[in-house]
Amino acid sequence: MSDYSVIQSLHKSAPAFSPYAPVGLLPYLAFVLLGGTFVLAFYISTLPKNAIPIHETLVALLASALGGFGVVALFNSVGVYV
Amino acid sequence: MILRCQLAFFVSLFAANLAWAGHSFENTAIVRTVELGGASVHVTTAFAVKALEPKSSVYTIALSKNEHQKTSWLEVRQKGQQAVLPLQPVLLDAANDAYIYKVEFSKPLAMNESVNLILDTVQTHATFPWPEQAGQTDDQALKYETDLYVLSPYKTAVQRTKVRALSPRILSYTTPEGIEFTTENPVTKSGATVTYGPYHNIPESSSAEFVTKHQKHVTVHYNHDFPLAEITTLKRAAEISHWGANLNIQDEIVLHNAGPTLKGHFSRLQFQSSTFYNRASPTVLNWFTLHLPAGIKNVYYYDQIGNVSTSRLRAAPSVPKSLSGNSNQYSIMEVRPRYPLLGGWNYTFTLGWDAPLSDSTSFDSKTGKYIVGVPVMTVMPDAVVDDAEVKIILPEGATDIEFFPPFPAKNNTISTHISYLDTVGRPALTFHYEHLTDKHNGIIYVTYKVPFSAHLRKPLAVATGLIGLFVLSMGWRRVDVRLDTKQKL
Repeated sequence: MSDYSVIQSLHKSAPAFSPYAPVGLLPYLAFVLLGGTFVLAFYISTLPKNAIPIHETLVALLASALGGFGVVALFNSVGVYV
Repeated sequence: MILRCQLAFFVSLFAANLAWAGHSFENTAIVRTVELGGASVHVTTAFAVKALEPKSSVYTIALSKNEHQKTSWLEVRQKGQQAVLPLQPVLLDAANDAYIYKVEFSKPLAMNESVNLILDTVQTHATFPWPEQAGQTDDQALKYETDLYVLSPYKTAVQRTKVRALSPRILSYTTPEGIEFTTENPVTKSGATVTYGPYHNIPESSSAEFVTKHQKHVTVHYNHDFPLAEITTLKRAAEISHWGANLNIQDEIVLHNAGPTLKGHFSRLQFQSSTFYNRASPTVLNWFTLHLPAGIKNVYYYDQIGNVSTSRLRAAPSVPKSLSGNSNQYSIMEVRPRYPLLGGWNYTFTLGWDAPLSDSTSFDSKTGKYIVGVPVMTVMPDAVVDDAEVKIILPEGATDIEFFPPFPAKNNTISTHISYLDTVGRPALTFHYEHLTDKHNGIIYVTYKVPFSAHLRKPLAVATGLIGLFVLSMGWRRVDVRLDTKQKL
């Protein structure tokens, strides 16, 4: 059982878990990120329809990245801890 | 500590004449105290041991087959010391139908030196209601059966057994006849304690000859004033979220009233009047108190019909992890099932809560491992859990998983659990236990590593979905879906 007591003391002595983003900030983060996604999506709709849509694709990538983090923050702030 | 499950220890057979290959001792006194509870019975046996040869360090304790089957927790310590003495794996002495536990002392004994050993056990399903049926307002009486003599492979100078009930209303107890080891009364009762003994000069008692010749069964029939709660199945799921810094624990419990089954009908009128006049009937399990961890929030309690609102919670504020070992801060929840449980009735419900992950998890930056401690169960005082399954769901992409249960499980499995926003699925560790009592209040520690890229998996999955939508919209913009092209847009 010494294995168990070693792990027990390590568990007590090691610093506590801290998330990448503070939990209290998550709702605000969700609002900002998803708001940004919405705004960029609107902006994409105003762009000219080029043959090679570089600008459109770049803005779409940015919007999806923001949206990805925003949705995760949204899920966590409403209680679905993903 | 051992569990009553065959897979957890290996059983080996050996001939009776090799049985006592340990050192030789003499028991100067054995006192067994049986604390009669409801579903679980605590048996404490104190052995006063004298060594008969120098450098004796291994003492043998024998339990009869019946007793071993009922025992679900066992611990030996030396009187005055906190540390638990190590036990060698239990052996079956098939010739004598006894189970042998060998205990090592902390330091070997010299010749004629004495030491006091305390054997603590908890027995489950050792009592049964008698009469088996009782009306709604009747009393509840239980019967406990045990052997008269404590088995020991060594000679015993004096031995006694004290059976103690919670209330002095003991209805009957067996008076053993034809006992050669005493000249006085073989049994006495005073208050709530029935004492069998003292019996003098008992020879080696763990042999089959002694058992067939001398061993007697005694039964104590006593009144028990508290309802008998038994949890038939417990399914606990602990889900860890790193993004939300949250540990969600959910218990699915099937609660059973193991008292005498209800005779006749349940009368709501009689029940209401008895609760009004505060005459709690011991056959009715009306409410119970649970000590949940401190710092919990979002507690939910529902059953198949829906949310159960008949409960009260007083949540305690969060306790930092460094102090969590000795905290007596609990959130007290008074749980009242949807309907009162009469004898033989069952109730299935789900109880769960969220707790901050920093209270139970730590991060060791030297090895890059996270260490999480999940309690095996929320102890319901004096209740027995027949079948428990504890599932610990680690975050997606966890690797290098190691687990340290406080007592060996009957079964361990690793599987994949799929939850919201999962792509690969989360590793889930499942532990199966049987016959847990309030002594099995341990914490399972799991260590794992999660690389940074695994943390990004979820936002990436959602982002991929969104990119798909954007690509679709880019295509949609460039396609003309008008039916009549002559009309202006």
